[in-house]
Amino acid sequence: MAEDIKCNVNTDDQAENEERALSVFASEKSEDLTALVLVMVVTFLVLLFTKWMA
Amino acid sequence: MAQATVGRPDNTPVWIISGILLAYGVLVSSGALTGLLTTFKVHKAMDLMQTMAFVGGGLGVATAMLRQARWNKPLNNFDTFVLETIPGILFIVALAMGIRWFAEPMVKLASSALVPVLGFKLYKVLNLNYVVLGILVGIIITNSWGIPKFAASGVKTARFVLKMGVILLGARYSFAELAKLGMVSVWMIGFFVLGTVFFVLFLGKVFKQPKTMTGVLSAGMGVCGVSATVACAPVVKAKCSEMAYTIGTILGFGILCMFAFPTIGKIAGMNATQFGAWAGTGILNSAQVAAACLAFNAVDIKTLKVGEIFNITRVLFLPVIVLVLATWFGKQSGQKLSFKEVVIDKFPIFIIGFLILFFMSSLGLFSPADHYKGKYLDFSYNERTEVTPEELTILKAAAVAGIQGLNTQETASLNDLVKQHQIAGDFNDRADKTKFDTVARVRMAGLESMIARAKGGEVTISKDVKSAVKHALKQVHKKSKTIVTLTNAMIWFFAYGLIGLGMQITGKSLAQAGGWPLVMGGISGVAKATLSFIVVMYFVKDVVLH
Repeated sequence: MAEDIKCNVNTDDQAENEERALSVFASEKSEDLTALVLVMVVTFLVLLFTKWMA
Repeated sequence: MAQATVGRPDNTPVWIISGILLAYGVLVSSGALTGLLTTFKVHKAMDLMQTMAFVGGGLGVATAMLRQARWNKPLNNFDTFVLETIPGILFIVALAMGIRWFAEPMVKLASSALVPVLGFKLYKVLNLNYVVLGILVGIIITNSWGIPKFAASGVKTARFVLKMGVILLGARYSFAELAKLGMVSVWMIGFFVLGTVFFVLFLGKVFKQPKTMTGVLSAGMGVCGVSATVACAPVVKAKCSEMAYTIGTILGFGILCMFAFPTIGKIAGMNATQFGAWAGTGILNSAQVAAACLAFNAVDIKTLKVGEIFNITRVLFLPVIVLVLATWFGKQSGQKLSFKEVVIDKFPIFIIGFLILFFMSSLGLFSPADHYKGKYLDFSYNERTEVTPEELTILKAAAVAGIQGLNTQETASLNDLVKQHQIAGDFNDRADKTKFDTVARVRMAGLESMIARAKGGEVTISKDVKSAVKHALKQVHKKSKTIVTLTNAMIWFFAYGLIGLGMQITGKSLAQAGGWPLVMGGISGVAKATLSFIVVMYFVKDVVLH
């Protein structure tokens, strides 16, 4: 509902949004999750080639 | 940011970068650069150079062709997130390769050449490694030519890649290492790390500085400099310029300490343990701690060991500090949060990743659980741990003839090395690993102190004996291949991320942050150095190492 929407745009938000725009990801959460998943894949591959198959 | 119109930057730079990468790959594989790379001491990475150059170049060519094919079509998600991002990624990767394999070695060579003039290695003092060079290159590009249009989207991946590096950082530490530390160092470091963090946060309030700046500076001044800054910056949503200021403040303060600490320590008449504890607490950067300890006492290796232990303890406080800052930042943002909300909802996911890798590492998944940065000691009986037969003959002759000036422990260690052909515990204790390793560690320390005293000119040992003992020491120091590989990946992620972040630092943003970080860093640094000096002088005697 329109009356429920609060819009507190202050300078802090603006600065934060500017910084946020410097990421290709839509949200911090998706950025972090993607990083975590990719690192897990990297770790698995490294373990596979340097430990389990070496 | 999907645009319906055709908004693609020029394709030429993508062709050029791909061409450069492919040409570099060809040059390396043809052997034309081997001489130069050997001079730079980076020839061992030639395989990696070829792989990166050919994969990068190939990807660049494919991207350029696809972009050409889709030139007049509207941008879709594939364009925005893949095709338009890859050119920038390749641009940063090429820069990172240049820094790791050319700029960093050149700086090292140049500063080594300047030693006769300056008396010290400039790159060590200024910490001009790939981290600092990466940020500098990024800043220079942004403030001179500006970020090239074709690379703009790729630069936005910097923070994401940096987070991957921070997660991987967790693999380098383990709980067992923390358990090995004496309680004195844990209490003292804990007090000073948390104390400094809160003190900087307090100063930030007094000087009315933005909380993002205060947050990142407190982590940097409290924990261990650059890696803590990098890890905590996203937690408090610090701007790139604030991060750069923090790193600058830490390194600048560290340089002052590096010169001041040894002199003050000598005037105050500190012993080896006390100085190690003081330097490990007061100085922020690991390389600078080591330099100060060696400057204070190059002969007694205890100074360096204690300094390193204090330094390690501080790094292991990083997860705690992240938690503290996440709580503080959540509260400062004007929301009244319960502890659960902070920990579960606001806690950065990538720091959870750091903790996951830290746990995996502590469980011994990557290397024996008591490793630190992938290095561990292995005293078990093994032919590969022994010295060579030639070395044994030399050592035997030296032990029979006796070396003038050795103390009892050193002589005993040398005799046992001759007897067992390797550094080890007592044969009869081999079933009891703890006892066996403890005795072996004492013997190792005996041999290490022998080498250090020979270096300091206190005892005279022939070159052959020295090299044989050094080899014996090297044989028990093992390195986990898994952690070495993970660390290499981390270094590349950091190099990439920091170049990209450097590109987001404009002169204007630096001017906005002003000189306050320097003031706050200076005050908290001096306060910490003074307080830890008093604590060390009164409470630390010789009890740090058990």
